[in-house]
Amino acid sequence: MKRVAVGTVERADIKELRTRFGDAIRGVELDAARDPVVYIDASRSVEILSYLRGSQGYDMLKDVTGLDLGGGRPIQVVYQLWSTEQARPLRIKAEVPADRPKLGSVFGVWRASNWLEREVYDMFGVSFEGHPDLRRILMPENYEEGYPLRKDFPLRGRFTRAEQTRRALAMGLEDVYSLQELAVVEGGAGDGGRAVEAEADLSGVTAGAVKPGSAEQQEMAGLATRHMILNIGPQHPATHGVLRLVVELDGETIVKCTPHIGYLHSGFEKLGEYREWNQNIPLTDRMDYLAPMMYNIGYALAVEKLLGLEVTPRCKVIRLICCELNRILSHLIWIGTTALDIGAFTPFLYTFQERERIYNLHEAYAGARMTTSVSRIGGMMADVPPGWLDAVRDFVETFPQTLLETERLLTENSIWIGRTQGVGVIGPEDAINVGACGPNLRASGVPYDVRRERPYLDYETYDFDIPVGRYGDTYDRYLVRMEEMRQSLRILEQALERVPDGPINVDDPRVILPPKSQVMNSIDGMIAHFKLVMEGLKVPAGEVWYSIESSKGELGFYLVADGGPKPVRCRYRTPSFINMSTLPYLVEGELIADIIAVNASIDIVLGEIDR
Amino acid sequence: MANREKSNVGAERRHVETEIPRNWIVTRLDDLISWARRGSLWPMPFGTACCAIEMMATAASKYDMARYGMERLAYTPRQADVLIVAGRVPYKIAPVMRRIWDQMPQPKWCISMGACASTGGVFDNYTMVQGIDTVVPVDVYVPGCPPRPEGLLYALLMIQEKIKGESIADLRSREEDPERAGKPHLPAEEVELIAGPFGNSTFQNRVSGLESSSPILRPGDRKE
Repeated sequence: MKRVAVGTVERADIKELRTRFGDAIRGVELDAARDPVVYIDASRSVEILSYLRGSQGYDMLKDVTGLDLGGGRPIQVVYQLWSTEQARPLRIKAEVPADRPKLGSVFGVWRASNWLEREVYDMFGVSFEGHPDLRRILMPENYEEGYPLRKDFPLRGRFTRAEQTRRALAMGLEDVYSLQELAVVEGGAGDGGRAVEAEADLSGVTAGAVKPGSAEQQEMAGLATRHMILNIGPQHPATHGVLRLVVELDGETIVKCTPHIGYLHSGFEKLGEYREWNQNIPLTDRMDYLAPMMYNIGYALAVEKLLGLEVTPRCKVIRLICCELNRILSHLIWIGTTALDIGAFTPFLYTFQERERIYNLHEAYAGARMTTSVSRIGGMMADVPPGWLDAVRDFVETFPQTLLETERLLTENSIWIGRTQGVGVIGPEDAINVGACGPNLRASGVPYDVRRERPYLDYETYDFDIPVGRYGDTYDRYLVRMEEMRQSLRILEQALERVPDGPINVDDPRVILPPKSQVMNSIDGMIAHFKLVMEGLKVPAGEVWYSIESSKGELGFYLVADGGPKPVRCRYRTPSFINMSTLPYLVEGELIADIIAVNASIDIVLGEIDR
Repeated sequence: MANREKSNVGAERRHVETEIPRNWIVTRLDDLISWARRGSLWPMPFGTACCAIEMMATAASKYDMARYGMERLAYTPRQADVLIVAGRVPYKIAPVMRRIWDQMPQPKWCISMGACASTGGVFDNYTMVQGIDTVVPVDVYVPGCPPRPEGLLYALLMIQEKIKGESIADLRSREEDPERAGKPHLPAEEVELIAGPFGNSTFQNRVSGLESSSPILRPGDRKE
């Protein structure tokens, strides 16, 4: 990475930052995507970040993550900001010593930082002062092996496999479900004095201690009432995977909801540091198995940005077709399972039939139904097979009928309307603040879509609309996704018209394996093949933040390279993780039955929440 | 019957013995019970990751698991026969899976669906159980990442085959020690044996502090 002297970056906000905070701004760099990276004094981080939020309009906190370069070097805490008004990004880095990492929490500035900071604490051991609920989030709370994403942490953990198994099973479920843990209140530790009964399932709370609620509650203030704690999951058919929700109920009203995640933590980010750049592609589709090609392609795009590589025109269009097909694939399973949760079984069967058709397309192209691993850095695994584009065209022509049938089943269905309208409402400012992204954010009326804000794959040349909701409720989230599928069809139609001829892969022997005929017949081809296989793809030192609009929201890749064949840091900013953290804001005050509808409506996939 | 035996001569007696009245079936009790069991298996879907989506596809319209008697997916372990572990199982969820297995009444069977559940798959790292057979006993392993729905159906048919060979007189495989509930299924040394790095496990590099088995070094790793 080229370190640029402070002041040479021609952006008014950074100049102003420099004049205002002086020495607290340690340096400014440009990353591989020409985005500015500002190093700040860790002791003044909260002050600077609050200023950026308040006076510079950086209202969206996309990501907080850590970066350990190893060798006892300081740990960098990386904030990825975005200004919706001016449509520009800013990356802030604060360096904290590796032995005693401490930093102020920005929970008071952006609510979205809640889970992100907890994750940095869990993975790097950076403790955020002022965070209301700093606990481990992905690993078990009594995890004793250390901080997994530190460079000195071995890939397989510090204990033997037998010891890890023994410890995992020795963890009595009563420890996991302890009422003390359930008593943790989000947003403040003020309720610490609350009496918790050891053996009963109820925590004894008098109505006087309850947050101000409905009028009925006020009237009942004289009576001693008790809140019930209800545990949903981690193995529950309506949680869409292994998610655990702990809800505190006042009658049927949800007073507090605490999601517990990490039951599917698979260490993608740690594994990413041990694998070569191209070897990470099969991992990406196991993260979001509902839209695998999108993840493959997003990762490849990010690495290509680091390399400064432009793919061929044919590749761009094929990639775009894959992305939009997968948006439909993912939205279809969303409708099917959400309707199933709310009690409608038929849409599940309809949508799965259409999904099978897309799976057939996957299979014809990549050979796998779900874990496609279709992209490569610099191109695709292969050109599409003959007749494949016609099969896509056939799908695009016939799919609207099923979409219409499904819509006819739901959109004006009075049960559907009753269960979704006015449920789980969040306004635009709050939605940005808590970090909602993708269709959830757009349902609240914020027209933020990465395809428009920072176009990739030439999205700016296609004619499509960004559907936006008005009320930000569950029904709007449904309507937005239905409309997005129609827009995807529109994009697909245009893309199918313009698929150019030509090679699918870039003609660069440092990136793409030469064709077998060259390998067998020419010395150049053989050397290129040998070097690429034996030494791996070399990516120049630098870092990049690259995001695409996945079906669930903004999918960001923060990749750091040091010139070697493997990444130094492979951060996946997955949209479901942030969307999941917004659940408490959506359901608190609603009825217990609505938690299933709201949880389903934010479209989560546990594979990418827990990574 | 007894009176007739006394009064009749031999030829007629033989006739009586071979004649079976209508609506009667003579069979072994084992056959009857295993026929009933294998025709009404109630699977308990323990779906975590990608495989769970294929499991859903198996239950949905095109593949339709109900054709083989798995009409009802039991979402409570108390009313289930077959535990289908579909997807990766990290250590954090392992005690939950073990508890579900302990809650299921005998007779019960377990299918390990996919590479991750069977061996840890590509996730040879700090968080993943390296094969659920270290935690619960497994009857059928389904290879694939993820297996196709046909694969899962075949596994269920194999469970049915297995039930055919079981006898209610032989309780050895069905005995459960309450002391073993919530404990690893295998002793520590066998867990080590099964869960050790092998084959295409991700190689360690020098940064991790372990010996490198990969020819590739990072420039930053070089010792000056």
